[in-house]
Amino acid sequence: MNVAGADRNRRLITAGAGTALALVMGLALLAGFRLATQIRSSITALQTASELQTYPSVLTQQLTALRQRLETREYTGQAHEELAGTVARFNSDIRRLTKRSDGQSPQLQDAARMWQAYRPVLAPILAFSGEPYIDTDSGSSLSDGGKMYYGDVRQAQLLAKQNVGRLHRLLTAVTDSLEEQTSGAAARLRELLSGGVLAALVLAAAALYLQLTRARHERVAREAQEQTRDILKTVREGFFLLDADYRIGTVWSEALTHIFGRSDFAGLSFEKLLEDRVPPGTLATAVKYIKLLWGDRAHENLMKSINPLGQLEISMDNGRGGKETRYLQFDFHRVVGPKGGVKHVLCSVGDITSNVLLAKELQEAQENANAQVDMMVGMLHVDPLQLGSFLDTTETGLRLINAILKEPARTDAEFRKKLGGLFRELHSIKGEASALNLMSIAHRVHHLEDTVGELKKKAELSGNDFLPMVLKLDELLAHLRGVREMATRLTALKPGAGSTAEPAAAPSRPTGAHTVRRSGEDLSPILQALAEKLAKDHRKSFRLSLSGLADVPAAYLATVKDCVIQMLRNSAVHGIEPSEARRVQAKADVGAVRVDFRRSSEGYELMFEDDGAGISPQLLKDAAVRKNIITAAEAASMDTRTAMALVFRPGFSTQDEVTMDAGRGVGMDVVARTVYGLGGKIGVSTNPGRFTRFKIVLPPAGEARSGERADRMSGPQGLPPGMASGVA
Amino acid sequence: MIGSQKNGSGVRRSLRLLIVDDSNIMRRRIERSQQFEELEVVGTAANGIEALEIFHKTDPDMVTMDLTMPQMDGIECISKLVQLKPAVRILVISALADKATAVEAMERGANGFLNKPFTDRQLNEAIAELMS
Repeated sequence: MNVAGADRNRRLITAGAGTALALVMGLALLAGFRLATQIRSSITALQTASELQTYPSVLTQQLTALRQRLETREYTGQAHEELAGTVARFNSDIRRLTKRSDGQSPQLQDAARMWQAYRPVLAPILAFSGEPYIDTDSGSSLSDGGKMYYGDVRQAQLLAKQNVGRLHRLLTAVTDSLEEQTSGAAARLRELLSGGVLAALVLAAAALYLQLTRARHERVAREAQEQTRDILKTVREGFFLLDADYRIGTVWSEALTHIFGRSDFAGLSFEKLLEDRVPPGTLATAVKYIKLLWGDRAHENLMKSINPLGQLEISMDNGRGGKETRYLQFDFHRVVGPKGGVKHVLCSVGDITSNVLLAKELQEAQENANAQVDMMVGMLHVDPLQLGSFLDTTETGLRLINAILKEPARTDAEFRKKLGGLFRELHSIKGEASALNLMSIAHRVHHLEDTVGELKKKAELSGNDFLPMVLKLDELLAHLRGVREMATRLTALKPGAGSTAEPAAAPSRPTGAHTVRRSGEDLSPILQALAEKLAKDHRKSFRLSLSGLADVPAAYLATVKDCVIQMLRNSAVHGIEPSEARRVQAKADVGAVRVDFRRSSEGYELMFEDDGAGISPQLLKDAAVRKNIITAAEAASMDTRTAMALVFRPGFSTQDEVTMDAGRGVGMDVVARTVYGLGGKIGVSTNPGRFTRFKIVLPPAGEARSGERADRMSGPQGLPPGMASGVA
Repeated sequence: MIGSQKNGSGVRRSLRLLIVDDSNIMRRRIERSQQFEELEVVGTAANGIEALEIFHKTDPDMVTMDLTMPQMDGIECISKLVQLKPAVRILVISALADKATAVEAMERGANGFLNKPFTDRQLNEAIAELMS
């Protein structure tokens, strides 16, 4: 219902009816006043006429009485006076009647004319004065004057007697006419008064009706207002209208106050509402979108589909002096005015944070479930012995990390040294996990590395900064326990489980810092699997040839594995070129990576070689300058050999972007440190565009320094002394 | 309905459509999939500059516009087309799914937005909406 329109109509009707009734009443009163005046005049005339009606006979009687007195010589003074009075009243009354504008009836005119005829006859009588008698001895007799007087009286009496009937009838007719006039006017007045009363009743009824209608409308409007207020108070979404200047109107739902933590919305521009809460780019897009809503270029559906604020991440005060991220959903609807065209835009905004977080949780749970399945599938392809070995080694590694975290440290340098140690250990674990395709572990470790990376960027470090690490470490340990449990179950399912002398079904938990390994453990499947994965991940094509790895003594197994994994990653990311690039250089499409382990005069020798792009000393120097490892001046004065040694520096990487396999700058320094820790040597030789070759020399197994993993966490920060490098 | 006016001889005039996309396959797909008899494909262009040249020659009523193209991208091309002919109706067909790009295109003067990949039905619905 159009309340405003109905209200306007009601007011118009009220005013019209009121005016009409007032006019009617006014006219009725005016007419009534005139009629009343007329009636009053008629009544006066009627009284006059009634009196006049009696005069002819009175006059006749008085003339007769006067004549008799004259004849009997009685005193005539009083009779004369009475006659004179009657004539005077007759004159006066008939003049008054004839003066009335509405009293000119023919009878009155006839009566007036007849009265005129009386005048000359009566005039000498009225003019007589003196004594009409003469007293003599014989008695009184008429004097001369008296005789004339008597004669006049007798003549007048005769005239009066003659005309009394007619004059009386005429005057009676005048009276009747006046009576008729008066009663007619009275009847009209009655009608008028009845009409007036009726009009007054109608007016009163109309006023009552309008009052009732108005009260009803007011009640309806009040109820509507209350309902609107209740809706706006109760609804969970924030509602408001935007005007053509993109400003919020004067009415909004209470939820808006809770959503935005403010209440001064009236007149606030939409831009101001979101300012400082969303990134500038998002704000600009939002403002553009709002402007588009006022145009008619796009349909409602299209505008809805391109709404950039359907899920808006917004930064809000959390009431404790900090910020929190919330997600808001804005919807916009055009409000079209009566003449077409957008009058307002209705905005609804809801806090969908819990929905979004739930969706994220669901997605994470889904991803976790998928990862579990992937891992289970992956684990089915992993040799139980390798898996057990990995889990043992990783747990040992994590214990080492725990030990590092617990190491007392006060200075920033000590904290940074801790970070370096953590980084290298985590990187090593990640490499092994990737090699075994245990990506759920690799990803978790990658995230831990991210945390360490963030800490490294901090200007100042304190013990509290390491607390998040501890939590994540706990989570990783819990995950490892889950993996171990799953491995146990899987192994139990595998045919032949438990038939071997040393079942892998229950990989033993390490009892100390070291794990006793079986000699001759075959690293080939892990490395081949890793090579395959790296080739796929980095879209490279290369073949990995392994030889002599079955002869790796147990003491060096982990070291050789870690080193080869790291060098394999380097080859996949930096060394081997894409097939197209290789073709241009007249190389075989498929690259070659060769790993050879053998006994030597010094103990053992591990050779790792790829036929990739080689290492450019200049590129190394550029990258080192970019990473602030050396200064530009140092780079300029650095010889090739020293430049090549940069690959063994902690934090060095030629890659700027961090990925699962490269870019963190831990890798070759881990290899070098491990080798050095065992009392070995490492060297690199390269021919840019042709090959890169790492040669690691390890002492005989019995002479190796104890605690291989622990050792790689310690040692000087500079170049390991047993290192050689060069460019072929 | 725009463009479906009759000329002096009373013959119904077709709506002229220009297809702009850097992918030949996509251009052919749009041309083949649209099912409107009153639409006449008057040209196809592989980039913004080519689109402007063909636009000058054929004066189309409607344009389907890719956004990511070499030489002159779709957003810039939309601005120029709208300057040349404000009444032209432009349907953006792009793989850029973010809302900000869509809003930007609409602000420059596009009238519709369709994400790649799309079905024939979605294409025809988007064109129908553009024609209404």
